[in-house]
Amino acid sequence: MKGIKLAYNFLRIGILNEFQYRANLYIQILQTFIALATGLIGLQLVFSQTTDLAGWSQPELLAVLGVFTIMGGIIGAAIQPNMERLMGEIREGTLDYALTKPADAQLLISVREFRLWQTVDVLTGFIILIIALNQMQWAVNLWAVFGFFSALLMGAMMIYCFWLIITSIAFWVIRVEEIANLFEGLYAAGRWPIGIYPNWLRYSLTFLVPVAFAISVPSEALTGRLTLETWLGALALTVFLFTVARIIWSFGLKNYSGASA
Amino acid sequence: MKRYFDIYRSMMKLSILEQWQYPVANYFYMIGMIAEPVIYMVVWSTVANQQGGVVGGYTPGQFAAYYIVWTLVRSMNVVFTPYGWEWRIRQGQLSMSLMRPLHPLHSDVAYFAGWKVVVILLWLPLAFALTLIFKPDLNPTWIEIVVFFFAIWFAYLIRTMTLTLIGLVTFWTTRVSALFELYFAAELILSGRLVPLSLMPAWIQDFAWFFPFQWAFGFPIESLVGNMTPNELLRGLGMQLAWIIFGVILVNIIWKFAIRKFSAVGG
Amino acid sequence: MTSVISLQKLAKHYQVPEREAGLKAAAKGLFKRQYKNVKAVDEISFEIQPGEVVGFLGPNGAGKTTTLKMLSGLLHPTSGTASVLGFEPARRSHDFLRQITLVMGNRNQLSWDLPALDSFDLQRAIYSIPANEFKSRRDEFIEILEVGDLVQKPVRNLSLGERMKMEIVGALLHKPKILFLDEPTLGLDVTMQKRIRTFIAEYNKRYGATVLLTSHYMADVEALCKRIIVIHHGKLLFDGNLSQLAEKFSAFKTIGFTLDNSNVDLSQFGEVVSTDGARVVMRVPKEKTSAITSRLLNDLAVEDLTVEAAPIEDVIESVFAVKKEAVE
Repeated sequence: MKGIKLAYNFLRIGILNEFQYRANLYIQILQTFIALATGLIGLQLVFSQTTDLAGWSQPELLAVLGVFTIMGGIIGAAIQPNMERLMGEIREGTLDYALTKPADAQLLISVREFRLWQTVDVLTGFIILIIALNQMQWAVNLWAVFGFFSALLMGAMMIYCFWLIITSIAFWVIRVEEIANLFEGLYAAGRWPIGIYPNWLRYSLTFLVPVAFAISVPSEALTGRLTLETWLGALALTVFLFTVARIIWSFGLKNYSGASA
Repeated sequence: MKRYFDIYRSMMKLSILEQWQYPVANYFYMIGMIAEPVIYMVVWSTVANQQGGVVGGYTPGQFAAYYIVWTLVRSMNVVFTPYGWEWRIRQGQLSMSLMRPLHPLHSDVAYFAGWKVVVILLWLPLAFALTLIFKPDLNPTWIEIVVFFFAIWFAYLIRTMTLTLIGLVTFWTTRVSALFELYFAAELILSGRLVPLSLMPAWIQDFAWFFPFQWAFGFPIESLVGNMTPNELLRGLGMQLAWIIFGVILVNIIWKFAIRKFSAVGG
Repeated sequence: MTSVISLQKLAKHYQVPEREAGLKAAAKGLFKRQYKNVKAVDEISFEIQPGEVVGFLGPNGAGKTTTLKMLSGLLHPTSGTASVLGFEPARRSHDFLRQITLVMGNRNQLSWDLPALDSFDLQRAIYSIPANEFKSRRDEFIEILEVGDLVQKPVRNLSLGERMKMEIVGALLHKPKILFLDEPTLGLDVTMQKRIRTFIAEYNKRYGATVLLTSHYMADVEALCKRIIVIHHGKLLFDGNLSQLAEKFSAFKTIGFTLDNSNVDLSQFGEVVSTDGARVVMRVPKEKTSAITSRLLNDLAVEDLTVEAAPIEDVIESVFAVKKEAVE
């Protein structure tokens, strides 16, 4: 309970902070617009040559683009800023300030930053999604709605665990920018249905960098492709990744205090 | 002339030594970069297969070739970003380089040229791995290889000029990220980075003709992958040279104004 | 002799956007900005002869760095002229840049990840220094600064002071005739400061170079500079040697003496700064110095009486306390 209160407080401060820099909102809107335009151009190019891509129609892929944009907004607003700050602090040895607070350290380092304007992406993503669903003449279906939102939540959780694991074990080898760059490169794969990729890449995108679960599974839920097995698999993977992340984080934390003492 | 040769040699040596200390970081950067063309490659190979093996004149094997060569050309396109200029001015690095009896652009060109040598060396094993996985259809002739060699270095110079020009805007205002993002989006679409330009609608291909982008990206790739006649190849190199010369002139003009502005308000 | 640095009514004004408090003013500022003219350097003139080492003093924001930047060509003056070695600095001609150097204590030129030797080689190429000349001068500097074992280490592994030594070597390899040094010893420990000071003095002696130096550390100035130029609020306040500076600005003198009888109330004479056994140091107003001295000699049994100018730190403090209005 205390944790939620803490997270709420950080969130509030983060939002107040963002209001100081309102110009960033316009830049964010422009960036979202540019990303959207290039995404749509890519789709248009593909579908000017074909009517379906590995069994996915154009409106269905538009829905994937929507989910991709939503998840990108969630990552950009809440996950990546926290992890980048964490990496910076580990590097400069200033993490101590966070560790001396009376709260669970993992929770604390995960909720300190919030980029409000990034939620423009989330909003835009939902608009695209609604347009796409409309084009598909989609009928409301309880399993699809539940599957979608639960898969979205699990997907965000998995991406968070992925970042935390990378941050905990890799901060001494590589720089923040390289990890961010690598992740963004792989994340872009989520723009297309995971089924089109060769096997080795599909497995990497499923288990190494859980992009497949984060974007494809919610999209599958909306387009009537989600099976109970996949959903249970996503749940299992979420729990598994969270446990692993927790263990590695505690381990890294021990090493960190050891190094700075 | 001999002096500049000496400066370039020393500067390139310095940057090679520097970058060679970070093979892991450089590799991570390149691997992150490779995701993008692999995605394009997979998407277009899928489309080609569905359309009976060819789309826009490209077979899956030719797409593989295009996007594998893409990775090298993309690496050659990495230069000092416009965001870097803002940092440079704020940190006082620009003041220090203005104190040298050498145009600071020479330092940039030489430094990144040295880095490219490291990048090309690191790229070779990656290209080998990608070749094994995606089986590109690539049969270059000797003249194509020679032209390609020059074309990637010309591409590097063209992109240096365009990004320097954009970067110089920071001398007047620091709120420029919107401009940069627009520029990068235009480049993505008009250069051949997203897809080979021949897959684009005709009007975009015509439009792209007015910009230097394709000469820094699409042309070098197609010089190796495509079936250009020697005449077309030479004309391409000529176009690249023309853009470089135009870029150098423009950069020099804007540079004068930028430095005047800089010396008026201080760094 | 003709001067190597010459400033005539050199001035630099900045337009600074003026911000008023309050929401209404902020909203107005969106459409029309109010600018204030700030005179960072306000018509200063001086001449420096070849081989001089000049201390350039003034509190933060006095215009020191702005002046140095104008003299090295980084800033265009608003009005007035500057001439360095006969060049107009703002033109930044390569022949001019080849003969000067600018060292700023908080800026670095050397490659962070490589040994300084590699960066030195780049300096050689940029300044077209003949190879043997480069080698002998480099080794000479390395020897004077005793950094033979450090030049092989990556710069990032060096301490702040060691790095500064490398920066200075790199900045002097082309044998500049004019050295502009802006806080070269900032943040260094005392021994490091001393070493760098000695090196600058040595360089000045060997090559007859002219040095214009700013520093927060009076020890630097005392050890190196025969001549001091003080600017304050952008105006030239003083140009002369150290003792004249004390003469002009210090309101106090220091009297030291040895006293046989310690049970004397000294407060009637002046402020006691310190007592060390029988040795007493007093601070007295300058104009009363002779009166107090004679009273001390007459009234008390004092020995070894000395009268000195106030310590340089005190002098500088009183210089810097000068109000802006007093400088206009």
